Amino acid sequence: MLSIKHLIKKFHGKTILNDVSFDVALGQVVVLLGKSGVGKSTVLRLLNNLESLDSGKIELDGRPINFRNVGMVFQDFNLFNHLTVEENITLPLVKIGMKSHAEAKKIAKGLLVQFGLESKALSYPAALSGGQKQRIALARTLAMNPKVLCLDEPTSALDPQLKLEIAQIINALAGRGYMIVVTTHDVALIKQLSCTIHLMEDGRIIESAASESLQLLNNQAKKIKDFMLEK
Amino acid sequence: MIDMLFVQEYLPLFLKGTFAAMQIAFFSCFIGTVLGLLLGTVLAYKVPFLQQLVWLYVIIVRGTPMLIQIMATYFLLTSCGFCISAFWSATISIGFNSGAYLSQVVVAGINSVGRGQTEAAKTLGFSDAQIMYYIILPQAIRTVLPALGNELTTLIKDSSLASTIGVYELTKQGQIIMSQTYNAPAVFMMVGMIYFIITSVVSLVVSSLEKRMQYYVKH
Repeated sequence: MLSIKHLIKKFHGKTILNDVSFDVALGQVVVLLGKSGVGKSTVLRLLNNLESLDSGKIELDGRPINFRNVGMVFQDFNLFNHLTVEENITLPLVKIGMKSHAEAKKIAKGLLVQFGLESKALSYPAALSGGQKQRIALARTLAMNPKVLCLDEPTSALDPQLKLEIAQIINALAGRGYMIVVTTHDVALIKQLSCTIHLMEDGRIIESAASESLQLLNNQAKKIKDFMLEK
Repeated sequence: MIDMLFVQEYLPLFLKGTFAAMQIAFFSCFIGTVLGLLLGTVLAYKVPFLQQLVWLYVIIVRGTPMLIQIMATYFLLTSCGFCISAFWSATISIGFNSGAYLSQVVVAGINSVGRGQTEAAKTLGFSDAQIMYYIILPQAIRTVLPALGNELTTLIKDSSLASTIGVYELTKQGQIIMSQTYNAPAVFMMVGMIYFIITSVVSLVVSSLEKRMQYYVKH
């Protein structure tokens, strides 16, 4: 279980996150929903040690988190431009994961087959489409075997067909036991996910609901429903 | 002005000088590159305290003529009792000068690589040194290669300044041949041609390297 407790983050005196808390269980997808600038990505950056906490705790199974257990797929993918697709996956495995070149290649091949990109192994990122880059970034992250997977606006650069594909991948990964945190303001994506949604505003979680409850015609999760209708 | 007999007679001396000039350029390029990388990294990552020292160094080097730096290094070192040859004194001096200029090139190169590349590497567990070595530098080199090529050709030409402290490089050899033949136009035309040929070859090699390093931006 990933526990995020009372996160507070300030930049230049301005409060970006104000007492954000939530849990993510094994195999659960948590979506941080909200407009741009409400602090969604900052939560992911804190989870990945790209920013330092001002206050609060991030724990995995009751202990302070080891950031090696967290993987991140960026909105812009951030594939290493000078490396081939295969090298993007094998370099971290060899240099950080201490795998041999042969082992790393085998893992990379397995992931590329899984994502239907084995023919792109020797291509450079510049030659890939947005959807392909997204899947390679995901494969590179999964290769490092994280327990927690963070996806920052995973569908922002994708067409509707690819959005559906990414949603299916996220659901499948949750089924394999990953704890997944997704930031998005993409309503189409949320509709495809089985997840818990936290609506954020001004650095706070203002409402939470399970995705299933959004189908019900009652007053539950009203703010989330309103947000989705606006979109 | 230049006849075959003249070339035949003095070519060994010109070649000897050319070899010395190339040695100065090679070693000072090595010193400059290592120093430029270190100083550039300090500047790009804004290392506290060191950053100010590096800036001071860069300002001093850029604000004084290289000729003065070469002479100051040589005479300062020898007057302080250091037993150093004119060759190495000039090479070190030119290398340190080059390092200051190259640090600016390195800063531009590092800054040209998007912050996202560093962040992605960090989330995968790379250390700062690994990020620099495996991710930033290979991409930065592509950006700064033209500037590095310019610096190398400048170094080859600047090696001629070593003649002022008595290093027997190409220009000095030319002066010696001139004092023997009194044929200044032929000597300096020959010297100029040799510099021109070498710098042209270097420019061609750098330009071909640039094209080869575009491999990953092509579709």
